[in-house]
Amino acid sequence: MSTLVIAPLLVALVTAILTLLTRPSDLLQRTVSLLGGVGYLVAVAALFDAVILPLGGESTTLVYQVSNWAAPFGITLVADALSVFMLALASFVSLLVLVYSVASIDAFGQRLSYHPLYHFMLVGVTGSFLTGDIFNLFVWFEVMLMSSYILVLFYSGREHTRAALNYVVLNLIGSAVMLIAIGGLYSTTGTLNMAHMAQLLSNPEPHNVAVLPVLGLSAVLFSVFALKAGLAPFQFWVPAAYRAAPSPVTAMLAGVVKKVGVYAIIRLYFTIFAAASIDLSFLGISGDSFLGFFGPVMFAMAAVSIILGGIGAVGRDDVDGILAYSSISQVGFIVLPLAVAATAPSETVRDLGVTAALVYAFNHGLAKSLLFLASGTIQDVVGSDRLSDLGGLADRAPVLAAGFLLGALTLIGVPPLSGFFGKFLVFQAAAKAFAAGAAGAGLALAVALAGAILTIAYYTRAWNAVFWGRPSDAVNAALPDRWSVGGGDVAMTDGGSGGLKRLELTTQVTVVVALAIAAIGFGIGFEALFATADAAAHAALDTNGYIDAVMHGPGVGLESGGGHA
Amino acid sequence: MTQVFLAAILGILFMIGTYLVLRRDVVRVVWGISIISQSANVYLVTMGGFDGLAPILSGHGGGGPAPSDPIVQALVLTAIVIGFGTTALALVLTYRVYEEHGTIDMYELGGSR
Repeated sequence: MSTLVIAPLLVALVTAILTLLTRPSDLLQRTVSLLGGVGYLVAVAALFDAVILPLGGESTTLVYQVSNWAAPFGITLVADALSVFMLALASFVSLLVLVYSVASIDAFGQRLSYHPLYHFMLVGVTGSFLTGDIFNLFVWFEVMLMSSYILVLFYSGREHTRAALNYVVLNLIGSAVMLIAIGGLYSTTGTLNMAHMAQLLSNPEPHNVAVLPVLGLSAVLFSVFALKAGLAPFQFWVPAAYRAAPSPVTAMLAGVVKKVGVYAIIRLYFTIFAAASIDLSFLGISGDSFLGFFGPVMFAMAAVSIILGGIGAVGRDDVDGILAYSSISQVGFIVLPLAVAATAPSETVRDLGVTAALVYAFNHGLAKSLLFLASGTIQDVVGSDRLSDLGGLADRAPVLAAGFLLGALTLIGVPPLSGFFGKFLVFQAAAKAFAAGAAGAGLALAVALAGAILTIAYYTRAWNAVFWGRPSDAVNAALPDRWSVGGGDVAMTDGGSGGLKRLELTTQVTVVVALAIAAIGFGIGFEALFATADAAAHAALDTNGYIDAVMHGPGVGLESGGGHA
Repeated sequence: MTQVFLAAILGILFMIGTYLVLRRDVVRVVWGISIISQSANVYLVTMGGFDGLAPILSGHGGGGPAPSDPIVQALVLTAIVIGFGTTALALVLTYRVYEEHGTIDMYELGGSR
């Protein structure tokens, strides 16, 4: 029992409410919002410190039973290494994106409740990471989604309303499906608490739990998480919604909100449902775990996402479009090692697969938000993000170009950057599974290779068209002279979208550079990131540890489950 | 018996909802979503079973049958509130779409571009 678990949630919620109250004063609202972002980072750091340190050592699991109602009767909040790992990504990216949005969203937009929405979205994200209750997962998803609906709709122009309409309709249907799956799970297992559910599934006979319907319902639930994560075949909402949202919001959607879907997949399918054993031979699949069924499903979705997103990105003619399709492809790269882990023949490969997915998710969170922010800055300066309107930006805005290059190289996977290790681990997991003779591991390797090549192709194309070559007319008009952060020789003229101040653009570029430095930093100090991701993967796969931590309360007998340790 | 009856009703509700979601008219799509989310609520209640009294009545005056599962009702209450919020948003969004595009016909709104 630890009250520290609710700290990030409370900080984000209080900040959201305070930013609502301070709307009359622009300056005060921005200050409160930024302080809230810092406070959130501090709260997460404290939680991180309590759960994961010492690095590489055993992580603990902190549990908060709301109102002291012991699990499974009350609502439980759980902070284990996996939740905290994802929270760390969320807090880091969200603070930097917040700094960026203070500079990039115009005063009217900020007054128009940008900050409350942003923090409420963060509340939803935090709640989804921390909840130990499957119905509350639905509620936090809704909190997150409702804010994101408005943020996608923020500019409310022609393109935005149409994209938001698709986004809202799709997610409302997704929510209904999620509710149905959760209702069914409650009806079959008789519990909503995830740890209790895992406990019952590991030992179903005495409790009259039918495992087969749970498999079906969890498959229904999987489609919802795949929708949130933007996995094929549920990826079609991604490009339009990402193009419509303001660039900092897109950075958050791609960097953090998508990861909630990934987190839910890891938590539910690797921690909770993995406890069940079931004979899958009637489906023609060997194996006795839910993972045996979800492995091939994840693999198919990941493979299609990687290829479809990659090919889509190669064919786009605007920077945001390339990044949005790339995002589909990269989520495939996150899920691919999960698929390898699900069908892995041994514990070490399984562990490695989940670690690879987490490291990749972390890198993607950093790099993709960096790229979307860089693209947003280009749009603010030049007034367009179409490849045909751009060119020669490396000459005119070298710092911004360097930031973009580092982001792209991170996703491509070039050694000193953290992205290299992400990609390396994905290949290593697939190769180890291949060496151990796992079915489909060779195919996984081939898909990963094809995806990696496509990544190089579309980022090279974007780089060439946007940053190299002769400055285009639009670039010349907006940036007649070289402009860089930190007092370049020539003051920037007001051009492009007009009226943007030098200070604001400098802030935007500084955030991009900060993210790029983080990508380098995590690459050089990869040991720490790996140790943390490894601890998170251990926590994700330790079903019994999760059950023990949550169910260890008065009035609840502990049963030793048969889940994999 | 009640369960079978409700299952049939649920099937019909989902059918109507799906039919409406596939219409060209955005307002009908919103109606369809609304019906689908309401049927999800009915489904949730159904999952609790019908073999007891209302929780608040049982146990008073001694004895009496066991209460129905109150949890599903609490869940549905939450889901209904969320559903109201999102439906209101969807309707406002429909209005905005009409303002921006001058039509609420899905075909005329066009594809993803």
